[in-house]
Amino acid sequence: MDLKNLMNAHPNVLIFLLSSIGLIVFPHISHIPTSIFVFFYVLLFWRFIGLWEPGYLPGKWLLLLLGVCGIALLYSQHQGLFGRDAGTRLFLVALSLKLMEIKSERDLYLISFLAFIVAASQFLYEQNLLMAAYILIVCCALLATLVCINSRDPQPFVALKTASVIVVQALPIAVVLFILFPRVEAPRWMLLNDKQQSRSGLSDSMEPGSISDLGLSDELVFRVKFAGDMPPPAQRYWRGPVLAHTDGKRWTRSANRDFEKFMDQPKFKGLRYQYTLLMEPHDKNWVFALDLPTEYAQPLSRNAHYQLISTENPDKRAEYKVVSYPDYNTGFITRTEYENATQMPGAPSARIKMLVEQLQGFSIPPEQFIKHLLNHFRKEDFHYTLTPPQMEQNPIETFLFETRYGFCSHYASAFVYLMRVANIPARVVTGYQGGEFNTVGNFLEIRQADAHAWAEVWLENKGWVRVDPTAAIAPERIEKNFNLDELALGSVIRFAPVSDNALTASRWLKQAHQLWRNVDYNWQRWVINYNSLNQSKFLSSLGVDNIKLMMYWMIGCIGVITAILSWMLLRQKQKATDRILRIYNRFCQKLAKRGLTRDVAEGERDFAERVKAKLPERSSEIGQITDVFIKLRYGRVSTPEDLKQFVQWVKLFKV
Amino acid sequence: MKWPALKERVMSHRFFIGEQATIAPYVLNHNRVFILPTQRGLGFVVLLSLLFLIAFVYNNNLAYLLTFLLASVFFITILHTVKSLFGLSLQKGQTKAVFAGEAAGFTLHINNPGDTPRHHVRITLEAGEYLMIPAHGKASVTLYSTTKKRGWHQAGKVTVASTYPLGLFRAWSPIRFDLKVLVYPKPALQESPFPQTAPVEPQQGFSKKGADDFYGLQTYQAGDSIKHIHWKAFAKGLGVFSKQYSGGSSADLWLDYDQTHGHSTEERLSQLCRWVLDAERVGVRYGFVLPGLRLPPDCGALHSSMCLEALALF
Repeated sequence: MDLKNLMNAHPNVLIFLLSSIGLIVFPHISHIPTSIFVFFYVLLFWRFIGLWEPGYLPGKWLLLLLGVCGIALLYSQHQGLFGRDAGTRLFLVALSLKLMEIKSERDLYLISFLAFIVAASQFLYEQNLLMAAYILIVCCALLATLVCINSRDPQPFVALKTASVIVVQALPIAVVLFILFPRVEAPRWMLLNDKQQSRSGLSDSMEPGSISDLGLSDELVFRVKFAGDMPPPAQRYWRGPVLAHTDGKRWTRSANRDFEKFMDQPKFKGLRYQYTLLMEPHDKNWVFALDLPTEYAQPLSRNAHYQLISTENPDKRAEYKVVSYPDYNTGFITRTEYENATQMPGAPSARIKMLVEQLQGFSIPPEQFIKHLLNHFRKEDFHYTLTPPQMEQNPIETFLFETRYGFCSHYASAFVYLMRVANIPARVVTGYQGGEFNTVGNFLEIRQADAHAWAEVWLENKGWVRVDPTAAIAPERIEKNFNLDELALGSVIRFAPVSDNALTASRWLKQAHQLWRNVDYNWQRWVINYNSLNQSKFLSSLGVDNIKLMMYWMIGCIGVITAILSWMLLRQKQKATDRILRIYNRFCQKLAKRGLTRDVAEGERDFAERVKAKLPERSSEIGQITDVFIKLRYGRVSTPEDLKQFVQWVKLFKV
Repeated sequence: MKWPALKERVMSHRFFIGEQATIAPYVLNHNRVFILPTQRGLGFVVLLSLLFLIAFVYNNNLAYLLTFLLASVFFITILHTVKSLFGLSLQKGQTKAVFAGEAAGFTLHINNPGDTPRHHVRITLEAGEYLMIPAHGKASVTLYSTTKKRGWHQAGKVTVASTYPLGLFRAWSPIRFDLKVLVYPKPALQESPFPQTAPVEPQQGFSKKGADDFYGLQTYQAGDSIKHIHWKAFAKGLGVFSKQYSGGSSADLWLDYDQTHGHSTEERLSQLCRWVLDAERVGVRYGFVLPGLRLPPDCGALHSSMCLEALALF
């Protein structure tokens, strides 16, 4: 149909198209610069006004000017033409300019195709379930506009229904393609380097305040699903980078790490925990395994600090299978490790020495000294807080003797420092501790708020032993998570048990929350994280292990689905009247065997009379059948019994 | 036996020339509906490849899923587009003879026995018509074909097509209905007086004037001129009667081919056609003479159509 006629007769087709485009672009609000976002919506709004006041639409020259503006906007972002951000912006500007110039049906198609690309670009930023559902709905709306364009008498709601039906029917084939289409990783040269978004998370150095910054973040770091038993909360230490070098304030990884070949093999005993880690995208290639990992597969490797490192791109979600033993003995200490673990930023002050002296650090065995020190933290007026006062100079001393308010990093660094003063090899370990258990999905969720720092001490015959000084001052920190709202207020954390009433009130909410988290977990695991590796694993478990078989399966499945759909769509429903006619035809065929064929123009009654004359012995049956047929086909009232009778008589009729 | 050349065989396939329809309703079944992607459909394929490239480069599963979903939509649309024509039955309706140069109208009746309305059916002979046929509904459409020459006019193939729902595919069915119509010669534009008929000697006992004298009433018979119907009697509900005039052949008009003047046969036929129409309008009785044909004087629709038919096929 001519576009002008279509638009004049049904302006709501364009309203429909413009609204769905507005919806598709909207989630980009957080991904693209405000200037481009505003540019797009101003043009969209302009186009809307143009629906009622076509005179307000820009002419040729104004359009050219707008185009120049768009290009200038893109240029001012210094992003080039390729890559995720630049590409998205380019398509958005192109779409907004094209909106101002709708002349033919072809333009409408071009606009909807551009809108599909913009919809796909949303997935490059966000891949959660809600976004997927949202995009699915707006895609239905876009397809509905195409239905409207191709209808004689467009009705948006009927079109929306048609489009949704098509999408629902398309889903099975899409799922088959998703599962079976061979996935190949894009070659390296094709990867377009975008500036990495800075992500919060543990870093490879620790300053007194660094971990407390994470303390308020609810962001998910990884999830763990245990194959069997779960370790008790007090053993859930997820090992991250080990920091052995300090300048008195800042802790970093020691420069000299070339001692791996001299190290003893750790011995494991006790309970064995097998689990699957699903790491969220982050910017470091660390994998936080339960202290201490022993079995792991490619692409994982364990470094000299017993930390797992992945060679895969950490920017993608990845799944790893790991086995850990919380009970271990790392054996002897190498010379380099010893040097690293006893390194001091300078001579300790008199106050520190006095404290160690007072706790008998120089005279009793290390185990005893540790116990004394932890007791010291517990008995003296030490407090645990996320918002400790600023300690610019000598943070360890200030913390130990003056402020006495600190977070895990303060306790860990002070503890390790005092150990080293007493000449005991010690180092800071960072990582995560605890995690929230999701009862619906049976997995642990570890968030940034679970970031933690603890100490590790080398003891004769025991190897590296974990000591958590924070547990001494706030054992509840280890046992359960604390309330983030309370932390945000900057108050000193009290681990007072929550009252039962509040618990029951929030239980329902919590369950709903956990259910959602479980759905999200499975979504991440099975949809977002489905890659060539998962695919081959999953398919070979079904017995499909080569690409040829995969192709056969794909074609076979699509064939079956298409056959079912064509049957559903193209089947001609037999109406009741047709059935009656069919049965009557059977009766006629029986008569035709005796050479009594009904003429095309011959009425049923005339035919019956003619046949009766030829077959007088059957005249009553012929009369009955003809009467009931006329009643069924042309009569106003016919009962189901009549039909039954009719079927019966025709069946029994013999010539 | 010599096989026809491949090109001939291909071109004579019903894909190109359409299928010959009979009097029975022509039902669009899977053998008769063809489907191919449209230009927009090919554009959609380009879109799909672009989306696939994005998904591949960024290894983004949801982009893959969207690509596969749209590819699947594209595929499913084939069925939906076929469905928009599937099961329709077409039947040729009445046609009326026309004069050369006029557009001949062919009525087609389309029946939708299905449960779904057909939102967008385009039916084309020379120009296209858009139709919307409701579920279990019927639609009639008149398609026009311009005529040039007198004689039998054969209209070409009728194409029923649809791009519903997404415009990515076009399903069509070419049908060769026997769309034949008789085309009368084009009546001459120039009015010219009726030919003078040689006065016949009045017979004894008959008045010369009597030619138009009222003679009596007779029950209407098909072919009697409408102008002779006794409307007053009809209005009284007495039935349809034709007025009969006495006098008979005395003043009958003879429209003779030999009396026309024109340079060519066609011009003469046009002139004759004009006379027939004029005579019919005035309501006089006229005889009709063509070389090899002589129709006795009469008037009325039947007579005139016989004359015109003879002219068309001369």
